Amino acid sequence: MSETVTPSEAWLLRQQTAVRATLNRAIALGMANGIMLIAQAWLLAQAINAVALMHQPLHAALPDLLPMPILFLVRFGLVQAQERAAFAAAARVQGELREQLFRRLQALGPLWLAGRASGDLANRLGAGIDALEGYYARWLPHRALSALIPLAILVAVFPADWISGLVLVFTAPLIPLFMMLIGKSAEELNQRQWRVLARMSARFLDTLQGLTTLKLFNASRRETQVVAQISETYRLSTMKVLRVAFLSSVVLEFLSTVSIAVVAVLIGFRLLWHDLPFLPGFFVLFLAPEYYFPLRSLGAHYHARMEAIGAAEGLLEVFEAPLAEAPPPVSTSPLPPAPYRIEFLEVGFSYGPDRQALSGASFALEAGQVTAVVGPSGAGKSTLVNLLLGFGSPSSGRILVNGIDLSRFEPASWLAQIAWIPQRPHLFAGSVLDNVRMARHEASLDEIEAATRAARAHDFICNLPQGLDTVVGERGFGLSGGQIQRLAIARAFLKRAPLVILDEPTAHLDGATQSQVLAAIRELAHGRTLLMITHRVATLSLAQTAVVLEGGRVSEIGTPARLMAADGALARLAAVHPAPVAP
Amino acid sequence: MKRTSTQPPSAARDLWRLIRLFRPYRAWMAAGGALALATVLANVGLMAVSGWFISAMALAGLAGTTMNYFTPAALIRLFAIVRTGGRYLERLVTHEATFRLLSELRVWFYTRLEPLAPARLQRYRSADMASRIQSDIDSLNHVYLRVIVPIAVAALGTLIILAVMAAFSPAVAATSAMFLGMAGIALPAYLRIRAAGPGEKLVQTRAALRGVAVDGIQGLAELRVYGAVERHSASLRQLSDDHIEAQGGLSKLTGFSQGALGLCANLALWVTMLLAIPRVYAGTLAAPDLALLALFVLASFEAVAPLPQAFQSLGESLSAVRRLFEIIDAEPAILAPPLPSPPLVEPRVSIQGLCFRYGDEGPWVLAGIDLELAAGKRLALVGPTGAGKSTLVQLLLRFWEYPAGKILLGGHDLRAFQPEDLRTHIAVVSQDAYLFNATVRENLLIARPDASDEQLVAACRTAQIHDFVASLPAGYDTELGEGGTRISGGQARRIAIARALLLDAPILILDEPTEGLDPPTARALLDAIHALMQGRSVLLITHRLDVLAALVDEVVVLEAGRIVEWGTVQALASSQGAYRRLQDDLAEG
Repeated sequence: MSETVTPSEAWLLRQQTAVRATLNRAIALGMANGIMLIAQAWLLAQAINAVALMHQPLHAALPDLLPMPILFLVRFGLVQAQERAAFAAAARVQGELREQLFRRLQALGPLWLAGRASGDLANRLGAGIDALEGYYARWLPHRALSALIPLAILVAVFPADWISGLVLVFTAPLIPLFMMLIGKSAEELNQRQWRVLARMSARFLDTLQGLTTLKLFNASRRETQVVAQISETYRLSTMKVLRVAFLSSVVLEFLSTVSIAVVAVLIGFRLLWHDLPFLPGFFVLFLAPEYYFPLRSLGAHYHARMEAIGAAEGLLEVFEAPLAEAPPPVSTSPLPPAPYRIEFLEVGFSYGPDRQALSGASFALEAGQVTAVVGPSGAGKSTLVNLLLGFGSPSSGRILVNGIDLSRFEPASWLAQIAWIPQRPHLFAGSVLDNVRMARHEASLDEIEAATRAARAHDFICNLPQGLDTVVGERGFGLSGGQIQRLAIARAFLKRAPLVILDEPTAHLDGATQSQVLAAIRELAHGRTLLMITHRVATLSLAQTAVVLEGGRVSEIGTPARLMAADGALARLAAVHPAPVAP
Repeated sequence: MKRTSTQPPSAARDLWRLIRLFRPYRAWMAAGGALALATVLANVGLMAVSGWFISAMALAGLAGTTMNYFTPAALIRLFAIVRTGGRYLERLVTHEATFRLLSELRVWFYTRLEPLAPARLQRYRSADMASRIQSDIDSLNHVYLRVIVPIAVAALGTLIILAVMAAFSPAVAATSAMFLGMAGIALPAYLRIRAAGPGEKLVQTRAALRGVAVDGIQGLAELRVYGAVERHSASLRQLSDDHIEAQGGLSKLTGFSQGALGLCANLALWVTMLLAIPRVYAGTLAAPDLALLALFVLASFEAVAPLPQAFQSLGESLSAVRRLFEIIDAEPAILAPPLPSPPLVEPRVSIQGLCFRYGDEGPWVLAGIDLELAAGKRLALVGPTGAGKSTLVQLLLRFWEYPAGKILLGGHDLRAFQPEDLRTHIAVVSQDAYLFNATVRENLLIARPDASDEQLVAACRTAQIHDFVASLPAGYDTELGEGGTRISGGQARRIAIARALLLDAPILILDEPTEGLDPPTARALLDAIHALMQGRSVLLITHRLDVLAALVDEVVVLEAGRIVEWGTVQALASSQGAYRRLQDDLAEG
């Protein structure tokens, strides 16, 4: 079929190269089955001819009847083998694409993912890839068979009855023609349907994650209307797609029925007029429905194709998104020996034309020392951390590690030198143990206990229902913010990295725990370069240097004590604990 | 190998519940079923009459006689039209009804799930719940469209077909019945058993895959830093392989069922030939009837053709059904009172001997709390993490039931209030307020959907976020991104505070309101919070009283579920008690 191929489908077709041999096997098996069917039709026609027309007894028909069960069994085997081969091809493409997609998402990095609906992206990895099965396991083999099997039948029909053969030849192209006409609109509808599904996915996940907040505002019942509205949109869009699919199948069915009727009528009257013997007539009549069957069933698989193309659009969007992160350096520098002195030289970064986050920031993290970065929200503190982690690269200026440009390091080996505690640590589905051990997979239980003790997490872990084996998950259900924070600190202890980055390490902590955690951080800082974002005086006291960041620029640098005394920006930004007693 | 044990015995009960849910649409489905039946019969008729027509014409030609070909030709036309039109209409009707129902079921599921939050949903992940409300409900269409309607059609259709067949040859009808039974009953039953395992696994791996994917996306930064990207990818790959393996198991069965269905039909045809041929030879069966019977028998299998596949996917559908009913059947943590709420005249809260623990076995989180929040008073509840502060808030909001003690709101038992009304009396600024992937405006309107633009701006000014919002390219229509990730933590908090300000309730609970804000912003916010506190009863929950100390009248110190100190800030600060200890710990660091 000479249909115009959309970019999504062209991409789908490119994916089949690796499995073409398997697909061809599936097609060959289907073809063999088609030939067996022709043989079966011939035998049946002969048997009926012998008995009904020639008035012969059963034993005369036995040579035709006895081989039939063998044919049946062979066909039984062929159908199964075809399905297996087709699935094997689809399975391989699916497995590889799912992995590639996940890798691509990883390569796009945290900055690209930030703010994107993870429910929708997760849906592409799951249902999106699942939707491709039909394309490779059904659409592609059947598309080939829909040409090959009718061709084989024509080869059998023409010698038997060329008039019927001509009818078959001239009616067959009508089917793909009509399918193309309908297919155009179906394609658009299907892609829209996929987008509706993606929106629904994202919205439901968002609603469910924020259900407690909705409830606090008595908005959770109102949200019912939103759920109803999304569901209705989805239903209407589904039905639109289905109506077109049904319409296309009714057209196919109508065309094939009319064509079979024409064949039957022509045969019938020529039989009546004695122009045609019964045997070829019945043979052709038996085969006529089988001639259109592959074309008709192609209509059913057309739906699978559409679904795959719709899903492919979402996959392609991820595969084609430009990588914002700097490509790994062509020639990498070996990492210098720890401890690290890290220097920011006139570093600038923007998230977009209107969102300049850092402009010309210069300061240094001295080797083996604690540096605190203080600033109001939006000052560029998190950007600083993102650049240091390599999630983005400076648009101007440079970051030097012991004098070597950060961009010269191989990203993974650079990250291996860093322990990072983000403001809102993520808890992964799994046990507490899994969540701590992710920092160093080969760590022994003793080492893990040492890390959780150092992070002052040991006691609360012991009080959990299954201790270290307690399953936690999404947003740390069951664990408080402070507890999650301490698990993240335990990860940092376990990793033993020479560079430690802490983003508000004592947020969510009460006084007693805070002083414990600060003591822990002091231990952790020993011999390491430590960067922490903070504005707590208690936390500041750990730092040898404080850097004040305002509007993407450094406004003050010095020892915390001196800056606090100078009554400048730091004194303004940092809080004193405890507060002066109310008058 | 029998795998029935993996499917709980309640599967049949679930199926019946599902069928009962369809009651509003039974007329639609009955109409769809009737159309489907007509379609199947027309198709069988078409084949049989065509076979007879050809043979009769051939015989007439052979004999040199004419015959009445108008009646069979008219029948063929009729059957062809019924077949084509019937299938189209049937699909339209049954799908329309099913998808209407699914749309309603989605809402129904949400309304049943909503009262369970947050207490009863703690052990489920949101991604898992999202998968239930979306894919699981979607997969119910199989039950209606591919199981229930086809069974009804097959049962009725087969009876009619066999009755007609018996008129020609009882022996042929009997053998056909046997083969139809194999294809329509034995084969589906076999597939149902064999597919239960992979079907269930498919649903499970799909949900697990989603969870791992969400983790890998939301937690990518940490995975990278901890070098765990590869391990996480490996677990995704493993799950993906398991998922594909389950798909493969089902695909194998699909191949088997297609082959077996064809085998049954062909064998039935073959036996029919063996039975009918001697009768044609003996002259007890008209010669054209041989072709008629052959094609009739072959075509009759169309009536049972959808069943094997339907029963194969039944396991998957029933797993989905179970996952839905599991949530539907969960008891909410609290029951709303039967009577309307009493009026709240005086916004005061008094707590007497309140005890609470999670579950029946766990340690007591609150062990006998007595607390009095007089109208217009401001009370700070201070204590270390795990002291029970947040639990107390959850009890006040009626998220959990408490086993012992009393909470009185305005002199009435808290249990007498409808939970919905309660939450109009109490506003919460919580430390982990969630921001939705929507615009600033939509996030604010959650608190009060009818708020005017002026009210939104006023609330945002008080929360000191208006200037920032106004500076955004789209102002109040700026999208915040998932979890509010497109704005900083401090800005997100201020939007959450503005949201709470909009609610305008007489009782205010501040749960760590300044946590995560930098001190100048926190201090700047004090004026706003102070303004908000005017004329309201306030419960401030915090582990560091900090600058907030100036705003409260009295402080209660909570430790391990008990109140250990109570007094004014000055009194507690000058004593050597628990409060001093907490504050000193923070100061020395």
